[in-house]
Amino acid sequence: MSVETISPAPIVRRRLLPRRLTLVVGAGILLVFLVLALTAPLVAPYDPIYQNAEVRLQPPSLAHLFGTDNFGRDILSRVIWGARIDLQIAVIGVLFPFLIGTTVGTVAGFFGGVVDAAFMRLVDIILAFPFLVLMLSIIAILGPGLGSFYIAMALVGWVSYARLIRAQMLVLKSSDYAVAAVSLGFSRTRIMFRHLLPNAIAGSIVFSMSDATLVLLSGAAVSYLGLGVQPPLAEWGVMVAEGQSFITTGWWIAVFPGLSIVTLAFGFSLLGDALGELLGVHE
Amino acid sequence: MITKWKSVGLAALLAGLTLTASYAEAAGVLTIGRREDSTTFDPIKTAQNIDNWVFSNVYDVLIRVDKAGTKLEPGLAESWSTSEDGLTYVLKIRDAKFSDGSPLTAEDAAYSLLRVRDDAGSLWSDSYKVIDTAVATDPRTLTIKLKNPSAPFLSTLALPNASVISKAGMESLGPEAYAEKPIASGAFTVDEWRRGDRVILNKNPNFWQAERVKLDGVEWISVPDDNTRMLNVQAGQLDAAIFVPFSRVAELKKDANLSVLTDPSTREDHLLINHAHGDLGKKEVRMALDMAIDKKAIVDAVTFGAGTVANSYIPKGALYYYADNLQRPYDPEGAKKLLADAGVSNLTLNYLIRAGDEVDEQTAVLVQQQLAKAGITANLQKVDPSQEWDMVVAGEYDISVNYWTNDILDPDQKTTFVLGHDSNNNYSTNYKNDAVKDLVAKARLELDPKKREAMYVELQKMAKADVNWIDLYYSPYINVSRKNVEGFYQNPLGRFFLEDTVKN
Repeated sequence: MSVETISPAPIVRRRLLPRRLTLVVGAGILLVFLVLALTAPLVAPYDPIYQNAEVRLQPPSLAHLFGTDNFGRDILSRVIWGARIDLQIAVIGVLFPFLIGTTVGTVAGFFGGVVDAAFMRLVDIILAFPFLVLMLSIIAILGPGLGSFYIAMALVGWVSYARLIRAQMLVLKSSDYAVAAVSLGFSRTRIMFRHLLPNAIAGSIVFSMSDATLVLLSGAAVSYLGLGVQPPLAEWGVMVAEGQSFITTGWWIAVFPGLSIVTLAFGFSLLGDALGELLGVHE
Repeated sequence: MITKWKSVGLAALLAGLTLTASYAEAAGVLTIGRREDSTTFDPIKTAQNIDNWVFSNVYDVLIRVDKAGTKLEPGLAESWSTSEDGLTYVLKIRDAKFSDGSPLTAEDAAYSLLRVRDDAGSLWSDSYKVIDTAVATDPRTLTIKLKNPSAPFLSTLALPNASVISKAGMESLGPEAYAEKPIASGAFTVDEWRRGDRVILNKNPNFWQAERVKLDGVEWISVPDDNTRMLNVQAGQLDAAIFVPFSRVAELKKDANLSVLTDPSTREDHLLINHAHGDLGKKEVRMALDMAIDKKAIVDAVTFGAGTVANSYIPKGALYYYADNLQRPYDPEGAKKLLADAGVSNLTLNYLIRAGDEVDEQTAVLVQQQLAKAGITANLQKVDPSQEWDMVVAGEYDISVNYWTNDILDPDQKTTFVLGHDSNNNYSTNYKNDAVKDLVAKARLELDPKKREAMYVELQKMAKADVNWIDLYYSPYINVSRKNVEGFYQNPLGRFFLEDTVKN
């Protein structure tokens, strides 16, 4: 007797790069920027804020690989130092929303009822506002600066994580092992954070990678508008803003920091994709 | 979301290019690009160049400032005389018409002056409070009596905000409708005003110098992005553009199809110092700041050499400018020593800047580094432009760069504002010197030009000695036009002489 099993035709997803390569390239890009950021004082050829009136608006050359800006500051050095701030933006800007959102989502999903309703209505209210508008208003109230940006990010960004985790919790809390844990008399805290959360969190980790891209771009946008990093500190968004007035006469001032933003964002995206596949999360 | 794409840099340029508006192609119509659109055509309700520069060619004034911006010449008043005691002015009004064809009389002129003095919405009433009465003694004669003698009075009659309006027109239309489409007597009339986009002007056939006007019309088009506006002129979509950024001058000069026009202006940029804040009240500290700032470097790096270093609050070329005024040399070591002698160490200042103002930001980055060399820390605080002004007025700053352009020929207006100790705390600096205050008041009443000039020279010396603020640089108006446009000119007070402009 033979049983024939008809396996469904495999769904072929078109991908830009093979899975392995996605992971390697994504992680590679992040690693390069991380190393640059950590070793900025060593690898940057010049002081990023030193103004040299004699080499103003120089196009890329051997002495200044990325050229110089209108104050004679070396663009390459500024891009390298800028990596410190932009990576910091991407990490801190994701970390706090992640922690807040995960905690809120876990509690709301696990307890349900009034707690859940209250938190989810709050989420609805925050989602009702366009993301950037809400961010900009919070920063406008707190005053410009990176600190304000992080606070605004934490206040606005956590809602996505809360929703993701809550949905997972709703499914998991009726699973067999959860019921078993309850009947064994474990405390709620233990069940929530030791048993359920580790199984619910994969999706959030993957999401945090694409969120890092969004945070990075928001940070650059906010700085571009003059509400984030303050001059003379080098940050890519600020540099693009400073270079905008020279776009037809000195393209290199805005283009190199612009490319850096794109590359780093690309790195986060790739890593997010690869992690999603590794952890078996389907979007 | 557009801002996100702007981060990519070049995309901003592409977006700008695709967003350009459509342009009229009529032969005799001059299209001029500028940053912002007008806000009103009611002369008394604005103090902004964006309004004055446009309605100056729609309205006419009793007395005009000449093309060079140095003397007064007849406008709607063909002649005038002053009484011995300087209290009575008699103006002979010329035979002119409003754009609706009705005659312009001394009655209209009197009405206009009393309106700018008395109307609740007038931003200029203080300048005209000196008028006691203004009456039409006959249809061609305007008699003005002053409360006290005033040397700058004739100059204030040339202010565009005191333009002659039609009494009958204002009364029949009402101020709201009049501010949209005024009945005036200048070279052009408002044909259409598309808010936020453009002002369309037509030649006024009833203008008393109508034969002088060569253009059929003018369109003032707002193109906010500097790069886009310049590209539009380069591509021939605009005949001319104003507010050319300093950074673009060299490149535009290379274009054979364009003329880059640098006309002398009365713009003076200065660093405001809040004397009420701690050590800034000490004269030595302010002198140290003056010595620590390299004005030449600002002229080179920010204005790309277009400006000149300033040595007085009165702009170079303006009435009573004192060319030999003190110019403290750039000397960071000397500044350090001055600070040490004054017992001041670790001076930390809050430097307020306007977000999005390219020149202000560039100056700030430069000044910050210069001050650091003298051991002074400047923390930059970037805020929205309108908020920045509110904060300056409220005294919530240590230092901040601002600028002034003269509205009238006479130095009294600016001097009163900067040194006269009137209601604005001397341009929000909280500067106090009673000897200076008294001299400002005396100079206003002095009718002998020689004695008056000596007084203003003394004032410029005293202000510099006290470092009321730090004079940075003077800069010209920089405009660009296509080669086929001739006579596109702006006088030092900002008035465009479009009645003499030709488009070939």
